[in-house]
Amino acid sequence: MSLPGMQPVRAGYLPGIDPAEVAWQVLAFERAGASLQVEVPVLTAAQMAALAARVRQAAALHLRPMPVAQIIDVIDRAIARLLDRAGPWRQRAEALLPAVSGYDAEMVRLGLTGFFKTFRAPQLRRFVAEDFANPLVLDGFQPAAKGGAVRAFGPDLLVHSWAGNVPALALWSFVCGLLVKAGNIGKLPSAEPLFAGWFAQLLAEVHPPLADCFAVVWWKGAGGEDADALYAQADTVLAYGGNDALDAIRRRLPVTTRFLPHGHKLGFGLVSAGALDTLDAPPLARLAAWDVMRYDQQGCYSPHVFYVQRGGAVSPRGFADYLAAELANLHRRFPRRPLPVDEAAAVAHWRQGIEWKALSAAPGAPPGAQLIGAPADAWSVAYADTLGPLAPTALQRTVQVVAVDTLDDVPPVVARHKPFLQTAGVAAAPEELHRLAALLGAAGVTRVSAIGAMSTPEAGWHHDGRFNLLDLVRMVEIEASAETAAEPFARYAD
Amino acid sequence: MDKVAPLVADILAFIAMPGGCTDSQFDALALRLFAHQYTANAAYRTFCQRRGATVRSAQRWSDIPAVPIDAFKAMELRSEPPSPTERVFMTSGTTRGGETRGRHFHPRLEVYDLSMQRHFAERFMRGAERLPMGILFPGEDLMPNSSLAHYLALAQSRFGSPGSRHFVDANGIDLAGLWQALEAAERSGQPYALLGASYSFVHVLDALREEGRRFRLPAGSRVLDTGGYKGQSRELPLDAFYEALSQALGVPRSECINMYGMTELSTQFYDDGNAVVPSVKSGPHWIRSRLVDPATGRDVPPGERGILVHCDLANYNAVTTILTEDVGEWAEGGGFRLLGRAQGAQAKGCSLAVEEFVRAASA
Repeated sequence: MSLPGMQPVRAGYLPGIDPAEVAWQVLAFERAGASLQVEVPVLTAAQMAALAARVRQAAALHLRPMPVAQIIDVIDRAIARLLDRAGPWRQRAEALLPAVSGYDAEMVRLGLTGFFKTFRAPQLRRFVAEDFANPLVLDGFQPAAKGGAVRAFGPDLLVHSWAGNVPALALWSFVCGLLVKAGNIGKLPSAEPLFAGWFAQLLAEVHPPLADCFAVVWWKGAGGEDADALYAQADTVLAYGGNDALDAIRRRLPVTTRFLPHGHKLGFGLVSAGALDTLDAPPLARLAAWDVMRYDQQGCYSPHVFYVQRGGAVSPRGFADYLAAELANLHRRFPRRPLPVDEAAAVAHWRQGIEWKALSAAPGAPPGAQLIGAPADAWSVAYADTLGPLAPTALQRTVQVVAVDTLDDVPPVVARHKPFLQTAGVAAAPEELHRLAALLGAAGVTRVSAIGAMSTPEAGWHHDGRFNLLDLVRMVEIEASAETAAEPFARYAD
Repeated sequence: MDKVAPLVADILAFIAMPGGCTDSQFDALALRLFAHQYTANAAYRTFCQRRGATVRSAQRWSDIPAVPIDAFKAMELRSEPPSPTERVFMTSGTTRGGETRGRHFHPRLEVYDLSMQRHFAERFMRGAERLPMGILFPGEDLMPNSSLAHYLALAQSRFGSPGSRHFVDANGIDLAGLWQALEAAERSGQPYALLGASYSFVHVLDALREEGRRFRLPAGSRVLDTGGYKGQSRELPLDAFYEALSQALGVPRSECINMYGMTELSTQFYDDGNAVVPSVKSGPHWIRSRLVDPATGRDVPPGERGILVHCDLANYNAVTTILTEDVGEWAEGGGFRLLGRAQGAQAKGCSLAVEEFVRAASA
């Protein structure tokens, strides 16, 4: 797609700030001949502080009194517009998100639809019900079983530090913040600086009283005084990124600020011999390939390794070949994005590392992994006959297949990297699924899904094993003693 | 040994050749070395065969498959058997943290030494026979496996005038000694040369700023830094680094030379000063470079950035041709600009990248 002569696109959402008083920095995106310029706002510390105060105040005034059911209705209407392929918001997303991310346009289109569907009203209600047995606690005091009453308050100001070249990823935490009625200010990721600002505009369009209840900002790198000014006012900070970046954010927060980090994760799949008959194995490999293909493995749930049990009608090596063939097919349908030189180098580095390890193996030692596919292919499968330590691949559709005698050998190997575990895709019979899930859960896995669904988490999932909404709120209790003590002061007291 | 001696003699003659070489002369020696290494190193032979390159099929130096520098870690890349007198240079292993170090075996150093001296004389000494030198790096006795320690020791012994010395030892930088030497140079009016690791210069700059002092070294003085910061000092952007260096020592930026070298090579590249950064680097006639697409190994189209491949005819024992992790672009009129290291997948999504994992695993 080419975008000739396009005006720079403005990103962000800054209620109450005159754009003329903002310094705008241009981020240039060059992908396969198409170029796009995005202007992101650089605020002064004073502007940031004023923005934070404005959002905090507006949220207290307009968002907090709204019943959750009404907030869900507003989000649902905004999402309906994003699902409407003829609508201007959706068309903008389909045109520009591939341009900034480099992902195949058709992959983005499919991905967006699947993703937005998880934010429709029924799914949002499930989302809330997952964390609150009685969602009304978000609206007012509800009777508590132990006596008295209880109500959940979201933060006055929730600050998000978004990551990501998975387009529209900001939606998860943005919606969480809205459902708990927080004032929300999010920092755009430089890799995808567009979607969050659009969603903010769209919400304001759907329900104008919300217009000042959130903002979308940007800063360079870790940020300077601008970021400090914002962090200083946050009650809660939700951040996505590598552990170094998360640590840097944590160190600049006051100890009283709640910090909810989501670090980078590594997904893997388990395939039981029972799932490898000659009829089931090829479609299973196709599903596995879809999980690898979606957003070129950039999601925290994306698989890096498939552990495949020996003894099925299709061997682990056979499964690896099917997987390679499916990745080759998918590349024709959804081409991998063109890689800049440093990312191409990382992929080459990973492949060459496997190759040299095999070349330098001592005689008689295990031969190491074999690479399936040519260096110039836009995908790689490395097949290993022996179980080694868990290691990430180079992403960009590079995946390992490891043969094992029993899947029970896998949990102890992955457990050594507990902080990095999240999703495990499992293909096995029901009894085996449950037995493995217990072992995987103990090892550190927080989500077990079907292979093929690894990269599309369901609505209401517990991201990184945490409560998306409960973690954000503060429970306020009216103890029974207070209610009892109040009685004598009633006008009608006897 | 006997088989190698004539080859080594020819390489030495090739390096010493005045006026450079023709393309066909370079190809001829490169292919001879390729045949030697291909025959002597089974793993390298398999690597080449998988890329469809054999002694018979390689027609030019650029047909020689480039070995990724990680291979120096994975195995012993050598054509001659180990010997008790060989020198082993090891990579610092700091860039990727915690991994095994790459090793480059030198059965004898005469080729490395001649390569270093010939090019150093041309690009850094520029006509001067000897200069008083200060070395901001430990001596060879402290770091016997450092190619840089050997390089700098050689610079001092072959090109330093009496009184030249190292200012770094096991206890760190001898700042007082360095200030004295720089003061003496100021008084003498004779050009002075300060050479060392880039990160040592950062420490010197920090100390000078703290003490609020600066030097005005005599005209003709020069500086050579190399190696980047390697996590040993704060990271300074190139422009700020050379500006500060020039201010602190009174040496114009055009006299601040950066050497680009690698443990895996036996030849260095230099720029002609850093008035403008990134500077243009170039090497002598016995090394040639390509810019490749890392996925395919093929040359990138003109004007595009690529990963640097070097074919170094002084690398007679390991492999002539290596694939670096350095991103470069061609400069008009010859040479290349270094645009930094291919850091690899700076995870922009939420999926774990190798770098972070390796750091966590080695912590």
